[in-house]
Amino acid sequence: MSISRKWLIVPLACVVGLASSALAQQNQIDFARVEMHVLPVQGNVHMLVGAGGNVTVQVGKQGVLLVDTEYGPLVPKIMAEVRKLSSGPLRYIINTHVHGDHVGGNEELVKTTPVDNTQPLNIIAHENVLNRLTTPVTTRVTPPPQVGLPTTEYFLPEKDLFFNGEAIVLYHAPNAHTDGDSIVFFRRSDVISTGDLFTPERYPGIDLARGGNVAGIISALNRIIQIAIPEDKQEGGTYIIPGHGRLCEEADVVEYRDMVTIVRDRVQDGIRKGRTLEQIKASKPTLDYDTRYGPGDTFIENVYKSLTAKR
Amino acid sequence: MSSRWIPCVLACAVLLTAGMPAYAQVDFSGQWESLYHEDGPERLPGPELGDYLGLPINDAARLRGDSYDADRISVVQEYQCRPHGGDYSMHGLSTLRVWREMDPATQKLIAFRTHTQFMGMERTVWMDGRPHPPEYAAHTWSGFSTGRWEGNTLVVTTTHFKPNYMRRNGLSRSDHAVVTEWFRLHGNYLSVTQMVDDPVFLAEPLVRSSNWVRDPGQRMNPAFCEPAPEVPKEMGTVTHHLPGTNEFLTEVADWYGLPRAATRGGPQTMYPEYRKTMGKPEKAPPLTCERFCVCTSLGDCQLRDRR
Amino acid sequence: MIRMLIAVLVAAPALLAQTRTSKSAAPVDLTGYWVSIVTEDWRWRMVTPIKGDFASIPINADARKIGDAWDPAKDEAAGQQCKAYGAPSIMRIPGRLHITWQDDNTLKIDTDQGQQTRLFHFGGARPPKAEPSLQGHSSARWEGELTTLVTQNLGGQAQASQVTGQGRALEVVTSNLRPGYLRKNGVPFSANASLNEYYDYQKAPNGTEWFTVTTVVTDPTYLRVPWVTSTDFRKQAGAAGWDPTPCSAR
Repeated sequence: MSISRKWLIVPLACVVGLASSALAQQNQIDFARVEMHVLPVQGNVHMLVGAGGNVTVQVGKQGVLLVDTEYGPLVPKIMAEVRKLSSGPLRYIINTHVHGDHVGGNEELVKTTPVDNTQPLNIIAHENVLNRLTTPVTTRVTPPPQVGLPTTEYFLPEKDLFFNGEAIVLYHAPNAHTDGDSIVFFRRSDVISTGDLFTPERYPGIDLARGGNVAGIISALNRIIQIAIPEDKQEGGTYIIPGHGRLCEEADVVEYRDMVTIVRDRVQDGIRKGRTLEQIKASKPTLDYDTRYGPGDTFIENVYKSLTAKR
Repeated sequence: MSSRWIPCVLACAVLLTAGMPAYAQVDFSGQWESLYHEDGPERLPGPELGDYLGLPINDAARLRGDSYDADRISVVQEYQCRPHGGDYSMHGLSTLRVWREMDPATQKLIAFRTHTQFMGMERTVWMDGRPHPPEYAAHTWSGFSTGRWEGNTLVVTTTHFKPNYMRRNGLSRSDHAVVTEWFRLHGNYLSVTQMVDDPVFLAEPLVRSSNWVRDPGQRMNPAFCEPAPEVPKEMGTVTHHLPGTNEFLTEVADWYGLPRAATRGGPQTMYPEYRKTMGKPEKAPPLTCERFCVCTSLGDCQLRDRR
Repeated sequence: MIRMLIAVLVAAPALLAQTRTSKSAAPVDLTGYWVSIVTEDWRWRMVTPIKGDFASIPINADARKIGDAWDPAKDEAAGQQCKAYGAPSIMRIPGRLHITWQDDNTLKIDTDQGQQTRLFHFGGARPPKAEPSLQGHSSARWEGELTTLVTQNLGGQAQASQVTGQGRALEVVTSNLRPGYLRKNGVPFSANASLNEYYDYQKAPNGTEWFTVTTVVTDPTYLRVPWVTSTDFRKQAGAAGWDPTPCSAR
C-alpha cells in the first residue's frame, strides 16, 4: 500500500469510529419502552421529558414551537404528547446545540410535518450548529442528514422572534458546551431553555472537539442567572428547563454554577502549582460533588484541557 | 328495632370495641414558640465554623463544609434571601404557626400548613392521599410533604427539596434527601423528631428532635427580603476556600477544648463508645466558660456573658 | 332504664381494664436494648462541659451561683459521683439502655452508664413513702384514655357511644427526687424538681426502630421555665456495646 493511502485510512477510521459510537449510544436505547411525560411549566410553555434531552414545547394560537427534538425514533411519541396540548401546526424548531439527542428528531419532524409553502417549518440554530452538522471530519453524531438541517442561522450574539403572543430571544453562549449553544428565553412565559449548558443531574459536558470550554459554561450559567428573576425568597418567577433533568429555578442554576466555578478554581490552582492532570485528579477536586453528579474524572479532564488550551 | 334490644346492642358494641384502640386525629394548629433548650448556640447565633460534631456526614459533606465561605451570602446576591429549607427550618430559628385546611363540604382535613418566622418559610403537609410529584418536577425550599396518621402521631414524608443547610456553617443537605418527621402533641408541647436520609452527604440517617411550647399570644413579623449588592465583586464570583486552606476549621476544637478529630463529624461520633476513642484535645478546655455560656432565646444568647 | 344503660356502658371499659395488664395493654413495645444517638448537645453530653457553660438550660441566678461553684473533687470526696445520673438527666448521658418488664405493671430501665435502674409503675397507685432518691418515684401510663360517652337523641333514646383517641406514648411522671445535676458540670436541680417524660416509639422507613423521650424538667427553685429536651435512641438487636460503667463526677 502506498504511503498516501495509509495516511487516509487512519482519519477515515476515526470518523467511522466516532460516528459509530454516537450511533451505538442511540442504539442502546430501547425507544419502544421510552415514556414521554409532559409537565406544564408556565404561560405557554411545557416541558417534555423522555430518553434524550428535554424538549420545550410552546403552544398558542399561531401553532407549536419546539426547542430541541430528542431522537428521531421518539418523534411519534413526542408529537402524540404535543397533540394533547395543541392541534396547531408545527412552525418552529429551535436547536440549542448540535448533539444528536437534541437534533435527532429534526429529520423525522420535517418529513412528517405537512408542507405549508406560505409558512414553512423553520429550524433555527446558531450558525455553528449548521457548520458542525455539515462538517463530517469531527462529527461524532450520526452522519448528518440532508433533511432537518437548520434553515435559519444566526451569527450575532442574539436573535429574537415573536410567536404565540410572546417575544422569544436566543442568546448565543460562545464556546461553552459546544461553540453553537443557544439560551432560549420565552419572555412573557418567563421560561428559559438552556440546552446542555445546564444539566442539574450530572456534571456539564464540555465538547472540546466542537469548541466547548469551561469558561464558556461558567459564562453561560452566569448569563442564565442574570436573565432569571425569582418571584419571592429565591423561588418561583423564572423557570428553567435544562437540557436533561428536572425543571429548575434560578437557585438551582446558582448551585450548579457554584459547583462548576469551584471545581474550575481547584483545577486552576493545581495547574498554577505545576501539577499534571493525573496529579490533579488524584487530589480529588470533585470529591464533594461526585456523590451528587457522578464520577468526576471526565469533567476534571475537560476542565483541565479547557484551562490549558492554547488560545 | 325494639327499644329493649338497643342497650344490648350498644353494650356489645362497647365491649367489642373497648379492647381496640381507636385513634382520633390530633390538631396541631396554633402558635408555637420554639424552645432552644438543646443546641441553643448552634441554632440561635449559629454554629461555629468547622463544627461537625455528632453529624453522620461523609467525606463529600466534610469537604463541602470545609470549602464554605460565609461571605458567599453577601457577595452572591442570590443567596441573600434564601430561606432555610423546610427541614432545617424545624431545627434552626423555628418560631412556628400551624393551621389546618379543611374541605368546606366534607370537613375532611386536606392539609396542615406551617409558617416559620425566619424568612417566612411555609410548608404544606398534604393529608388527602395525593402522590408525590414525579422526579422531574421542580424542587422547592419547603419540599413536597404528605402526611399520614400512626395513632395520634403525624408522620410526614418530604421529598423534592432544593439543596439547603444541614447545619448553617456550610454543611449541605442535598436535593436527593428524603425527610421523615414524626409530629406529636404532649399537652402544651409540640415535639417533632426528624430523620434526614441523604445519600449524597450522609453516611447514616441524621435524627434530631425539636420542641415547641404553645404560645397563643405569639405574633410573627412579616418577612421581607430584597437582595442588593453589598460588596463590589466581579459578576460570577463564588467565594470559597480551596481544599486545605481554610484556617478557621480548628477554632471550634480549640475554643471548647475538644479533640479536633471529633469536630470533623462522621457517624462514629454519634455513638457513646466514641468517648473512649476520640482521644485528647490538642488544646485543653478553658477553666471556665468563655463563649455563649447562657443561651436559651434570642434575647439572652450573647457571645460574652454580661453578668 | 337509661341510667342502667349508662352505668353498664361506663363501667364496661373499667371492667375490661381489670383483666388487662399494662404489659398486655402496651400499644408499643419498648423492651430491648437501645443506644443513644448523640446528634444534639454533643459538647454538653459526649464530654464533660466546661465549668460555667449553662447554654440552653433556662436556669436562674441561684442556679448559676451553684453551677459556678461546681467542684467535681468535692463531689468525689463526698461520694456524690452520681449526681448527674439522676432521673432528670440520666437519659441525656450517652449510653445504652436495657428495657424490660419487671412485672406486668412495672417497666424497668437499666442504664450501662452510671449503672442506674429506673422503675416505671403503672396502675396509678400512690407512691409509697420513701426517702428522696436519685431516680425518685415514677408513675407511668400509656398516654390518653379510652372514654365512652353516651348521648340521647331527640326521641329520648340512647345513641351510639363516642370513643376518644388513645395515645401510644408512654407518659411518666417522676417526683421525690434527691437534688442532683442536670448536666455533669454541676447545673443543679433541687428537691422540688419533678419530671414529665413522654416516650414515643417510631419505626423509620429503613426499618430501624427508635424512641424519642421528651423530658420536661420543672424546678421552681432553679429553673425560670421548664427545661424541655428530646433524646433519641435506636434499637439494637442485642447487647453489643453494653458497657457497665460506674458514675463519674468528671
